[in-house]
Amino acid sequence: MMDSLYVAWQYVTWNRGKTLVLITSITLITFLPMALQVLLNESEQQLRSRAIETPLLVGAKGSALDLVMSSLYFDDEVPEIISMQAVRQVETTELAYAIPLYVRFQSRGFPVVGTTLDYFDFRELKIEEGRMLAVLGECVIGADVAEQLGIGPGDSLVTSPENLFDIAGIYPLKMKVTGVMARRHSPDDLAVFVDMKTAWVIQGLGHGHQDLAKTRDTSVILKQDERSVTANARLMQYTEITKDNIDGFHFHGDESIYPVTAILALPNDTKSAAMLRGRFLDDENYQIIKPDDVIDGLMENIFRIKSVIDAVIVIVAIATVLTIVLVFILSLRIRRDELETIFRIGCSRMTIVRLLAAEILIIILTSAVLCAVLLWLVQTNSSELVRGFILR
Amino acid sequence: MNSLRHCAVVLCLLLISSAQAEDKLQVYTVNYPLQYFAERIGGEFVDVKFPAPEDVDPAFWMPDAETIGAYQQADLILLNGAGYAKWVTKVSLPRRKLVNTSSSFMDDYIRIEDKVTHQHGPGGDHSHAGTAFTTWLDFTQAARQAEQVALAMKKARPEHTRVFEGNYQQLEHDLMQLDANLREITSLHPEKRLLASHPVYQYLARRYQLKLQSVTWEPDVSPDPAQWHELELINSKHAGKWMLWEAKPIAETQTGLTSMNIMSVVFEPSMNNPAKGDFLTVMKANIENLRSAWK
Repeated sequence: MMDSLYVAWQYVTWNRGKTLVLITSITLITFLPMALQVLLNESEQQLRSRAIETPLLVGAKGSALDLVMSSLYFDDEVPEIISMQAVRQVETTELAYAIPLYVRFQSRGFPVVGTTLDYFDFRELKIEEGRMLAVLGECVIGADVAEQLGIGPGDSLVTSPENLFDIAGIYPLKMKVTGVMARRHSPDDLAVFVDMKTAWVIQGLGHGHQDLAKTRDTSVILKQDERSVTANARLMQYTEITKDNIDGFHFHGDESIYPVTAILALPNDTKSAAMLRGRFLDDENYQIIKPDDVIDGLMENIFRIKSVIDAVIVIVAIATVLTIVLVFILSLRIRRDELETIFRIGCSRMTIVRLLAAEILIIILTSAVLCAVLLWLVQTNSSELVRGFILR
Repeated sequence: MNSLRHCAVVLCLLLISSAQAEDKLQVYTVNYPLQYFAERIGGEFVDVKFPAPEDVDPAFWMPDAETIGAYQQADLILLNGAGYAKWVTKVSLPRRKLVNTSSSFMDDYIRIEDKVTHQHGPGGDHSHAGTAFTTWLDFTQAARQAEQVALAMKKARPEHTRVFEGNYQQLEHDLMQLDANLREITSLHPEKRLLASHPVYQYLARRYQLKLQSVTWEPDVSPDPAQWHELELINSKHAGKWMLWEAKPIAETQTGLTSMNIMSVVFEPSMNNPAKGDFLTVMKANIENLRSAWK
């Protein structure tokens, strides 16, 4: 058998081009459905685990999926905005405590998540390096953000404009990074966390500028009387919150009208959860959802699509196998003289069959090893691949 | 053998006491009155901290990152509400642990439009525009704030509900006693007009029907000519004979006031830890001071 393998090996290495095409075809056709299954399993696991961890979500009426994807996985799609009034509405029921989320802005391609410190307790996020948020204008970053941007405590991050043509829009805010969180293998690793109030400063609802009552630069004053001073557009707003200017930062209006994209509602117990859902059932403005249910629906759709993809892959696999068989048959025809010579120099027909079988075995084994290596790579990095390419 | 047994008993006692210390409800407050209320209500089951330095006005203080970190670790953070301690709006605190002790009378907040900025202590320039915040100077409001403190503690440590409730009842009794005493005094001469050296007595004036006009002076700073002129203008219509002070004014100011036939009386709002005594003794002293002015 070793002799047959040796001769077969010499043959496949001599015909490198043909061998390479055959190995690539077989590897891909076996690797693709398996890799897809691995990634789907990982996606399902990640989607479900985060959804199960999150008991209830309150948001504006509209797409429940958008709300879940934005609030749990910090997707780019911003759901309809609601106000802090909804947070109070949840809190006043005393059935749950509310964690507001404002996921709207970005910084260097990463989502800026405005929330309260309760979020970190709820998700059990720990600071690995530096310290927790303390003052307005500070941020803590996920482990992947720190790794990919190469930044850490003491560095700065600047918020990005919502779109390139937003030249008359809000000023970017330079935020101080105070801490890096321990890796959790969740979307939190890819987020920049700020206090809700900092998120409102990013939007311009809270801002800081020179004291108009004291300024000597009259060119910034539009109107002045005994009771008030009105500034014009020349008044420069601070784009960074520092120890020196923090006193100048202020918010206008009632906090209850300030925006949030969603509320994580954490009920006291199962009964409270049911009662809270009942309270919001007929609400005209808000919807209350169980993220687990939404993810179930999403996974059903994904698996429906996957079954179609599986069918396509089966057809492609059959076509590939037939093509490979054809390649072998044609190859045998081309090699008729060569095989005849082998027979005439004294090899039995069985030896020739063994030679051909050894060639096929080498190609299939090589493909299997390659497929296994690729699958191992996908399996090892499935968590990052899913978070980087699928759940973003 | 006997000594071994003694050692074991001592060790057990030490372990129990350290476990109790760890189990104490960690409470942080934003001013001294709330610290006093929390200590009275919580008793041995709470560990109350108010970390503002003694030489600052807690209403305009800004804690450093380390102190903010300590607040974040607390089990309860007692806020005064009514815009008191503006630093709270500029820092990150866990929403779940925040207790706005004046939330039950938010509709009764007094809005003010003072745009004059001034400076005292290391806190920098500030104004009292917005909402009057010395809510506890109306002792009925103080009792309602104490009630919120008790509620928060009962929710956090339901196993000590009876103790908290009992302590709150005693505190409420003391506060209502202060209220009754002050009402008794101020009702003697309801027409009496007063001046205030600082705009911090709005709730006191409303509850006890004081006819009060404020200037913005500091006890340790001599007023400038413009401030004296402002006082003359106010008093030409108001005719106040007594001026309330947060602390005893310097001799120069007292002499100037005496020459205008205005006497000084100290009524400490007790925002920060008192040099001696506690909230109750300071308020009792304040009431006695007012009694002398009302004779």
